[in-house]
Amino acid sequence: MSFSRRAFVKTLGVGGAAALSGAYIPRAYDLPSFWTPTLLAQEGPLLLHNNENPLGPGDRVLNAIREHIAPDGAPVGRYPFQLMRNLVGAIAQRFEVQPGNVIVGTGSTQVLRTAVMRYTSSSKPLVTATPTYEECTQYAQLLGHAVVEIGLNDRLMLDLDEMAEAAKGAGMVFLNNPNNPTATVYPADEINGCIDKILTASPDTRILVDEAYHDYVTDPRHETQIPHAVQNNRILAARTFSKAHGMAGLRTGYGIAHEDMIGELREFHSGNTVNTPGVIAGSISILDVQRLNEESARNTEARQYTIDWFKNAGFEATDSQTNFIFVKTGMNAVEFRDGNRENGVMVGRNFPPYEEEWARISIGTLEQMEQATESFAKVLRVNATAAA
Amino acid sequence: MSLSRRAFFRNLGVDRADSVSPNLIASRGREALELWRNGLNYEDEAQFTRMTEGAVVISSNENPLGPGPAAYQALLDGLDQQAGRYPTNFRPSHRDLMQTIASKYGARPENVTLGTGSGEILENGALAFTSPDKALVTADPSYLQAVGVARRQGHPVRTVPLDANLRLDSEAIARAANGAGLVFLCNPNNPSSTVMPASDVEALVAEVRRSSPDTRILIDEAYHDYVTDPAHQTAIPLALRTPNVFVARTFSKAYGMAGLRLGYAIGQVETIATLAQWTHVFNSNNLANAAAVASLNDPQHLEQERARNKEARDFTIGVFSDLGCEAADSQTNFLFVNIGRPAAEFRNACAEHNVAVGRDFPPMEKTHARVSIGTIGEMRRAAEVFKQVLA
Repeated sequence: MSFSRRAFVKTLGVGGAAALSGAYIPRAYDLPSFWTPTLLAQEGPLLLHNNENPLGPGDRVLNAIREHIAPDGAPVGRYPFQLMRNLVGAIAQRFEVQPGNVIVGTGSTQVLRTAVMRYTSSSKPLVTATPTYEECTQYAQLLGHAVVEIGLNDRLMLDLDEMAEAAKGAGMVFLNNPNNPTATVYPADEINGCIDKILTASPDTRILVDEAYHDYVTDPRHETQIPHAVQNNRILAARTFSKAHGMAGLRTGYGIAHEDMIGELREFHSGNTVNTPGVIAGSISILDVQRLNEESARNTEARQYTIDWFKNAGFEATDSQTNFIFVKTGMNAVEFRDGNRENGVMVGRNFPPYEEEWARISIGTLEQMEQATESFAKVLRVNATAAA
Repeated sequence: MSLSRRAFFRNLGVDRADSVSPNLIASRGREALELWRNGLNYEDEAQFTRMTEGAVVISSNENPLGPGPAAYQALLDGLDQQAGRYPTNFRPSHRDLMQTIASKYGARPENVTLGTGSGEILENGALAFTSPDKALVTADPSYLQAVGVARRQGHPVRTVPLDANLRLDSEAIARAANGAGLVFLCNPNNPSSTVMPASDVEALVAEVRRSSPDTRILIDEAYHDYVTDPAHQTAIPLALRTPNVFVARTFSKAYGMAGLRLGYAIGQVETIATLAQWTHVFNSNNLANAAAVASLNDPQHLEQERARNKEARDFTIGVFSDLGCEAADSQTNFLFVNIGRPAAEFRNACAEHNVAVGRDFPPMEKTHARVSIGTIGEMRRAAEVFKQVLA
């Protein structure tokens, strides 16, 4: 599959004064609430815009939280210092690493922020892709740290060669694998090749691999970087409970790295940021591999249905390895989004430079996707029946 | 509040290097780091390994009863809804919470930014408003989270000792504020438990506005809801009418939600907008947002909690007084008591009897201990231990 190449390299040198001058940097949550009065008046708008797990964390996890805080909520009055040990221990157990290899945060974004603050500076840039998950870029800009953004290649994948080249002398390289918003993943040999190249060519550069969508990958050539990370004190793997674990509302994520690197991150990482329900839920969910596999299978089926629908309707999507698809609708993302919103279906935001023709659509349940494709058909003016 | 963070800084000597004994750093530094990596702070570990079922935990200024019934019900309702959705896709959303907070003070949501506890507000305040040439000004001893970040960033910190009554010294702080980036006022002050009267706060703010108009002033009112001294008033109205002033609040204390990690800042739009740039994306969780909205709509429960705490506090002050140990004039859910011996000695002795009390607070750790206020039943049990230990 080949898409028109729109790769570009951009260096952003935001002065350190920006942070103090009140220069405004828009953030995802600054968007007006999607719950407009019109939407609220409708029954159950379909939320296909934030890459959430539509089923949530499951009864086992929810019941564990209920049990812990019963009968009157008193345990909620306590800080989760002791419980945190359980979470760190459970994560360590799941990946067969030591507790000293684990750092937890308010979602994986806190871990991302800490790494940016620790390893980049005004002279040691963050090397990242565009479009990719924006948190690192935005935080580096806020700090007045240098940022080098590398466009995607013609397969809408991270341009690993360009990124490895730009990594020379950089503070940190951010690799989102699978990549949000393009849904693509690199096979282990290719991502390992890139990492090895960076490790060799730029001995002070750290590598942050964000594996937020790892649990949704079905390509057997993909592998997690966790074993690599615990061995090498320059690689950090970030994970979240917000996606396949279904805990976006509980704000819990973690990073895994060599003990020395975790120690370096700790110096810049705010402690006591994970809430009691999130700690309990994470401790249980991380060890429930069967539920994770079921969730992945459920997502794969709904994902395949949606990709096939678009294909039959004449629209191509990238090879999604996540719980969202990136599809070439040929329509401006704003127009596509507004049209679907009118039908009670929310889809993803703009992802420049692809916003003229591409849309990101999260995968809900199969039933939700069957409903959503009726809306897509109307907005794209295709015959829904023919497409199905 | 981040005990772990604070213990980490202190034990590593990152913070207050002048007043931490080299022995403490040498003996605890590495171990503290190890424990902190595992999500625990040193003193919690040292104490809790000795604790058994039914221990009295009065070490972290927590509300022993947790949230009120309305907030607890909202939490349970939240669990029945969508834990898989980000806060924007959940009702009440974080924006609903911001609106509820703003309404309480006749302000707009733009006057409010949330934090993962008020700790995030304090840390972001230090990041946003101090720099290598813009100092942080703080009382000493006081709450250390902003100080920890300023020191880590290499930003200067000016400390101002407490006065003879262990209160913030408003005139000395005003003098130290000249040219500073941020003045941090913890009112009531942790760990000394005393309050600065509203008239002094207003005078201090007016003086800093006059002598150093670019300096920001952060007033941390974490313990506001436990104050019973009528001379105290919240500085929120002052912040809303004064440029460069903002107030931090937390749901971790009287609201009984320490485990839900939620706090907020409130002030003029320009100040809050600058601070909010540093706010973590989705820093409050759905259950916290739901419980917080419910508890803000239940002010009566807060009154009950304040009265409950005052009764247990008065009882405990009396116990120490009978033992010849004077406590500062507590306006919080903890006491700062002159026990006439090192806090570590007292703490370890209490731990032997299944009672956990507060950590060291240099430079007063040789004479003073911080004791949180639990339920009246817990304080009666603790009192028996205090009598044995301090006899």
